[in-house]
Amino acid sequence: MNNFLTSNNLEFYLFGITKIFFVLFALLYFVFAIIVVKQVTSMSKSVSDKFNYILIIFSFLHLAFSVLLILIMLGL
Amino acid sequence: MTRSKDLDTIAPDDLSTEVSTKVDEVVHSPKKKKIIKTKIKTEEFIVKEDFNQKIHDILGHTKNPFSSFLVHPKVLKFTEQDDHEIIYLAVRPHWITNISWFFISIAMLFFPLLFGYLTFLNVFPIQYRFALVLFWYLITFIYAFEKFLSWYFDLFLVTNERLVDIDFNNLLNKHFAEADISAIQDVSFSIKGILGTFFNFGTVLIQTASEKNQIIFNNVANPQKIMRLLKELRDLDEHQGDQL
Repeated sequence: MNNFLTSNNLEFYLFGITKIFFVLFALLYFVFAIIVVKQVTSMSKSVSDKFNYILIIFSFLHLAFSVLLILIMLGL
Repeated sequence: MTRSKDLDTIAPDDLSTEVSTKVDEVVHSPKKKKIIKTKIKTEEFIVKEDFNQKIHDILGHTKNPFSSFLVHPKVLKFTEQDDHEIIYLAVRPHWITNISWFFISIAMLFFPLLFGYLTFLNVFPIQYRFALVLFWYLITFIYAFEKFLSWYFDLFLVTNERLVDIDFNNLLNKHFAEADISAIQDVSFSIKGILGTFFNFGTVLIQTASEKNQIIFNNVANPQKIMRLLKELRDLDEHQGDQL
């Protein structure tokens, strides 16, 4: 029992659990980013204006960063 | 038997009968019909031009597409718009209403600077802290972006046919309401508070005879101008109704 709670093991479990939570959050965030892209596209179709494409670009950038977040979380 | 025919039978050479026949011939001739049509079209054009001038006098004009008060927006279109429908005015909530989320976003940008003071985070290696900071900035971005979109797509449109209220709440809900110009019964507005008085924005309340009997536009800029425009549109609609 004493061997199980060594500082190395504790770190391993603490970081492991944290990593799992981080990855789960990142995945959920990715799904949310997809919804944002869909909604911005739908809004832009609904009310079309000259600058809507900027908003769509921003939503795609946000999606790209959410993918980057997943990659970083997986690489931890 | 009509009176004219009756007289014609009695006195065939009656002058009045001759004149009326001639008038009938002239009015029903294709050339005269064309002239009458052109005259009506010209009158309609003059009325429209006068009306456009009136709108310009009431509303002035704006060129900034991010303005909260867009007069005659040329590039703005909405899905439910008819081909011949002209947007006279597009209104968003006054830009000052964005100030709270703007400052919150600025504060959120600087929040990661405090991470150094949160000692429990020092347990985690630098990669974890970097991931956390990235995650925080994404949340900050999406918070500001969502607030901006909610403002940008919250539109009140006045067209030559109707009033349209388009609203997107929290990226997931769309609200669309409309009322014909002819269905407008009563328009009122209220300006409240220091900010409202200082920046001239308030709530416009429109009572209509349509299915949705009340349309409310909150925090719109220049409510007096909107009210005047709606009055002019109603008058024009009544004038056109009388002509028909």
